[in-house]
Amino acid sequence: MPAADQATVVAEGVSKVFFSGGEPVWALEDFSLSLEPGSFTCIVGPSGCGKSTFLRILGGLEERTVGEVTMTGADHPVPAAFVFQEHGVFPWMTVLDNVAFGLRMTGVGKRERLATARDWLARVRLTGFADAYPHQLSGGMRQRLAIARAFATGSPVLLMDEPLGALDAQTRMLMQEELIALWEQERKTVLMVTHDIDEAIILSDRVIVMSGRPGTVREDITVPFERPRSFDIERSPDFGELRSRIWNLLRDDVRTAEETA
Amino acid sequence: MSMTEREQRTLEAARVHRARDRRLRTRDLALSILAPIVLVVLWELCARLLIIDPRFFPPPTRILAAGAEMLGSGELWEHTGPTLMRLLVGGGLGAITGIVVGLLMGSSRALNAALGPLFSALYPLPKIAIFPILLMIFGPTELPKIIAVFITTFFVMQISTVAGVWAIDRKLLEAGAAYGATGFARFRFVILPGAMPFVFSGLKTATGTAVVVVTAVEFTGASTTGLGYLIWNSWQLFIPEKLYVGLLVIGIIGAVLTALLSRSEKLLLPWRRGT
Repeated sequence: MPAADQATVVAEGVSKVFFSGGEPVWALEDFSLSLEPGSFTCIVGPSGCGKSTFLRILGGLEERTVGEVTMTGADHPVPAAFVFQEHGVFPWMTVLDNVAFGLRMTGVGKRERLATARDWLARVRLTGFADAYPHQLSGGMRQRLAIARAFATGSPVLLMDEPLGALDAQTRMLMQEELIALWEQERKTVLMVTHDIDEAIILSDRVIVMSGRPGTVREDITVPFERPRSFDIERSPDFGELRSRIWNLLRDDVRTAEETA
Repeated sequence: MSMTEREQRTLEAARVHRARDRRLRTRDLALSILAPIVLVVLWELCARLLIIDPRFFPPPTRILAAGAEMLGSGELWEHTGPTLMRLLVGGGLGAITGIVVGLLMGSSRALNAALGPLFSALYPLPKIAIFPILLMIFGPTELPKIIAVFITTFFVMQISTVAGVWAIDRKLLEAGAAYGATGFARFRFVILPGAMPFVFSGLKTATGTAVVVVTAVEFTGASTTGLGYLIWNSWQLFIPEKLYVGLLVIGIIGAVLTALLSRSEKLLLPWRRGT
């Protein structure tokens, strides 16, 4: 991978405060994080800890109250491509047009963007559905489509907000395998928010564990498993240990979030 | 590879089930066509046997005969033409303006803040009630009738279109923003297609309302043409057959316009099929 295709993402002292009936609510407090180029990072945390808010701030979908966000090392028309949990693909566009959408918005010519889109459809095994509409796809296929759309932009940074969260457990495992394979070929800088501790460990190089509201970094954990990875790592004792370590960090905050919601 | 006897028996049972489902569907279709025919025949018989008063309910054959005669003499077209013109010109322009204003209001916060409350206050005003004002301003010409239809259609379309823009899933607006759709591209690829389902249901509502308004406007003394006039005049002269002919034709116009809209919705919004 050429280095120019990779980006470092740095967020410094990001806070997000909004008002709820006159009372200030701190969604994020002084949150800092920097992502190595070509790394896969997952954020896990209790509901309402502001992990999605942080991702949306990075993606430019939400304003930060204070703080700095910089992306360096790549000069791409789409600084970061976003993958939504569900319903993020346009129901009025064919599968092919959905994948080509980001390229179309950045002014890539028709022939080139359709060729790139077809290539990505093949890589997520949706070639036969190029002219179908999203409502004709299964939930797993729609998420493959959403992922293909993000990769197809060529953006060096992918931001994923629980991309597999709406899928059933088995489809989800299948998609995790596919996502690992795609990422290991592409080595984009990925930041992904998830509720699923196993998913975080299997996919990422690094897991950021967040505290309850206001969200801050509770612990920054490096995932030691070699790449290329497979689900075999789930059977290793290290995996179990890592999982219970993360769960112990989360348990109290999850309970608090559950009882105050 | 040959099937076991057990598999063949199962398949046979599945075929019997399928045949039964098909028979039921055919029966439903036949019933839906037969029922209205039976009703009309019953009407004819009752009117001829004087079970119902034929002065109020002339037998359908007499209505059709009157219709055929009016068609031959050109009288029918004399009334259908003006009604169609008022509907299509007033309704067409009203729909286009309503959709454009609705899209602008849906995508501009400032414009909606300025015009939203005003239009909401005007909307419940019965449009037919301002017809005398239009007559006062424009005189007893075609213009006030067209404007009455225009205003009716405009309000329905403006409100439906704004609702359509607001009903677009927030995730899709964000997806548009995340992938760089700004300005006109956002409008063309996200807002416009996203609002289309509401636009089409608005068009169907507007068609129904416009038919009512055009008929009502033609009822007034300001009109000497149109199907509304035909109906009203036939009542005053007590020619019930002609009254029913007018009713039938205005009904057909409404049905055809609605069917055309449904048809174009299927063609223009292929992504709605099966949802």
